[in-house]
Amino acid sequence: MTGTTALAAAAAEVSALQAALRAEHAAVYGYGVVGAHLTGTALAAATSDWIAHQVARDSLEAMLRSAGQQPAAAAVAYRLPHPVHGPAAAMSLAVTLENRVAAAYLAVVALPSRRFRELGARAVTAAAIRAASWRGKTVAFPGFPAGALPPAKL
Amino acid sequence: MAADRTRRAVLAATAASLPLLAVSGCKGVGALATPPRPAPDVAVLRSAIAAEEIMIARYDAVIARSASLAGRLRPLRAEHRLHLAQLRSRLIVPPASAAAASPARAPATRGPSSSPGPSSSPGPSSRGPGDVPAGTAAAISFLQAAESAAATTLLRQLAAVSPSLAQLMASVAASEATHASALAAGGAGRP
Repeated sequence: MTGTTALAAAAAEVSALQAALRAEHAAVYGYGVVGAHLTGTALAAATSDWIAHQVARDSLEAMLRSAGQQPAAAAVAYRLPHPVHGPAAAMSLAVTLENRVAAAYLAVVALPSRRFRELGARAVTAAAIRAASWRGKTVAFPGFPAGALPPAKL
Repeated sequence: MAADRTRRAVLAATAASLPLLAVSGCKGVGALATPPRPAPDVAVLRSAIAAEEIMIARYDAVIARSASLAGRLRPLRAEHRLHLAQLRSRLIVPPASAAAASPARAPATRGPSSSPGPSSSPGPSSRGPGDVPAGTAAAISFLQAAESAAATTLLRQLAAVSPSLAQLMASVAASEATHASALAAGGAGRP
């Protein structure tokens, strides 16, 4: 690999990891809102998912720092995609947060290095499992925006 | 209108010359004695397609056998059909090897005869639908294990393929992992 392409690859890695980190920051903030509207086992699930996103955030920050990069900072507050006044809206917000996290890690999967592909794929799977659990059903293509992969003819 | 006629004539001439170009192109490829080795994407796609076909055949077998599970399993099978369609749409077969690939073949027949073809890899994830055990609980845990194994196989091949295919495979693997969770939990939902 020439110096220029190595630099370009490194820039793509940093950019994809920073985007994943920003999605994790948003998820950490969002699960705070989600948990505020839930009780019992649903609250326990939200707390567990909230912690999972904090761990993922910390890990991305450490990765970026060890590469000599300044990790993207969390915003003070985030605009919610819809008003959240009860458990149903809270669970729907959790699904949205996980979809965004999955999409961000799917961009990490497109990086050339085996290490980042595996890291991204594991994170897409984890987000997909959490999303399916909040949604109450599975989807065919986690991480892709709805309609991004139109049904092909068999 | 003369200009229009001229334009049409040019278009017609271009269209007529295209098949000639294509034919000479084919001759060019055929003239190289050994066909090019399939790109990693092609080999990986073929095995992923075969794996999805087997998975659908397994769901077919369980749904045909126990009607009580049909409502729960049909949505999962429908997602596998979407996986299969996407994977097939990515497979661009060079003309020379089209006969060997036959990607359009659907697993119409059930039972051990619906073998996935020579491209499937050995191992537990490639066993046929004839292996689905009897009994509701046993069939569910069989499907659950098969989903997990299929996801693991896809993830193991990520490094070998193009970025775009890696994304599709990571997404399909994630979907299969959620299937395994849903089958284990007796449903996908949290309370």
